[in-house]
Amino acid sequence: MRRPVNSFLFWLATVFVLFIVIAPISWIFVTAFKIPSDIYTLDLTKLLVFSPTSDNFWYLFSETPYWHEFGNTVIISVVSTVLVMLVSLPAAYSFARWNTGSGHLLFITISTRMFPAVVAAIPMFFLFKQLHLCDTHFGIIMLYTYFNMSFATFLLYGFFREIPVELEQAAQIDGYGRMEILRKVIFPLIAPGASITAVFCLVFAWNEFLYALLFTRLAARTLSLGISSLWGAIEIQWGPMAAGIAVGILPTLIAAWFMQRYIVRGLTFGAVKG
Amino acid sequence: MSASRDKAGAEVLPSDLGRKQSVWEVLTSEKYFKWTLLSPLLLLLILFLIYPFLYCIYYSFFTYGVRAAPVFIGLDNYRAALHDARFWAAAGKTGQVLVISLIVELGLGMGIAMLFNREFRGQNVVRGLCLLPLLIMPLAMSMIWNFILQYDFGAVNQVLLALGGDKIQWFHPDYAIYTICFINIWQWFPFATFVLLAGLSGLPKDSFEAAKVDGASGWFTFRKLTLPMLSPLIMIIVLLRTMWLIRIFDPLYGTTRGGANTEVLDWMVYRNAFVFFDVGYGSTLAIVSLFGTIVLCAILFRQLMRALGVTEQA
Repeated sequence: MRRPVNSFLFWLATVFVLFIVIAPISWIFVTAFKIPSDIYTLDLTKLLVFSPTSDNFWYLFSETPYWHEFGNTVIISVVSTVLVMLVSLPAAYSFARWNTGSGHLLFITISTRMFPAVVAAIPMFFLFKQLHLCDTHFGIIMLYTYFNMSFATFLLYGFFREIPVELEQAAQIDGYGRMEILRKVIFPLIAPGASITAVFCLVFAWNEFLYALLFTRLAARTLSLGISSLWGAIEIQWGPMAAGIAVGILPTLIAAWFMQRYIVRGLTFGAVKG
Repeated sequence: MSASRDKAGAEVLPSDLGRKQSVWEVLTSEKYFKWTLLSPLLLLLILFLIYPFLYCIYYSFFTYGVRAAPVFIGLDNYRAALHDARFWAAAGKTGQVLVISLIVELGLGMGIAMLFNREFRGQNVVRGLCLLPLLIMPLAMSMIWNFILQYDFGAVNQVLLALGGDKIQWFHPDYAIYTICFINIWQWFPFATFVLLAGLSGLPKDSFEAAKVDGASGWFTFRKLTLPMLSPLIMIIVLLRTMWLIRIFDPLYGTTRGGANTEVLDWMVYRNAFVFFDVGYGSTLAIVSLFGTIVLCAILFRQLMRALGVTEQA
């Protein structure tokens, strides 16, 4: 659908959209470097012109357990993503190839996403307490694995559907066993789709808050919790909070940079045949 | 040579007959392989899905504070929930957020997708940047928005003052819910945008050229061609976003925390179960909201399947 492009209008609209998108994000990075008086001022010029300081970062790194939380988040995100891929890849393959459970099982798997998050949290809380899993890495990792499992299965299901069955059948005729087919034929084809899914799961685990809030205290604290704890009962420490957020979203920014090329393809998983 | 087949329809070679299969072979045989593949998922499902579900149903029939032992009260919890004005208010708020966010996201997404559906310099950078809101920690964003929209020294009010206007109280009880919608939409519009963009770029050019040759106006083309062809994608977006919007929690935690007239369903369940530790009532609320969600999503799912089915026939 091509209309004569009015170049100026197009760029105007694009810049407007970009501004809405970037302004809040760049605001964080700017605030992270401000001294408190600059943050709380009504002076408009202070939005852009201010004396930079790295106090917020020093405070963050020395007074609060930030790096501990950062490390926790890394471990938890990575391990749970690996587990999710291990569980979802075979499951999605099973659903795509043989429609196991005639669509009902697939719906149930996807429906886990329909639960309001708190619904699952209530009983899990008591279960975890009994098993002494609260505030352990293992507990949270298992939770995040479950949490991302349905999304990953759904996404991978679409990717597997794109792989033509004829390839597998040809390999079978050639005498390959099941496992060999998986390794040699399917695996290279699913690699791009699996990478996108894995990155998404990483990002979701990294950003998750509710379960971290409910199930961790000190030992397995994640970044989201750490940042929210700067919202004290007495005062909200905006400076260190902005610094914490700025550092915390850096990994996701990097992930976004790598992902942007594949996102457009990944999100439709072949639902529309062009 | 004709091959004989066993009950599952897999080929059985003559040399295999009479040999007892090892466990591995059974697991990877035609009939059971698909279940073997599925087993880890099923295990996790049972543990994390069935068990919580049954637990919630069980305890929704009790009053269960933290220290006291649970007391069976039958359907009283459900009766209380259905008569609870707060509950219906929360459900209404959730519905409000859902409808507003969906409409705006789809509209914005469609508009921006059409805007970006062309080759232009720096398109990778622009698209990459537009992806950002999706990926930032929702909690962090809610706190940032809380700060930017602060009445006293928030950036937005500063700009308004400088332009000669008045400061607006963005979290006033009368319209705080719209602010929450805005925060949500800001975060999620890239999702709809990119899905629709992918759909748009996959549309066949021929129909559109034919329409243009026939003299169809832009609006007509949009209504009769673009929209119907994109309907499966739109349904997918609606379904997925509905599932996500019903469980909205993070934007509230960083801003109003349920105050200022913004209590949504998930927040109410959270408060009852984890702040008041009223597990019985919390479970009831959870089950009722879950039921509503399933009904809603099942309807949407059917619509989606129907839309997909129509496309495949064409």
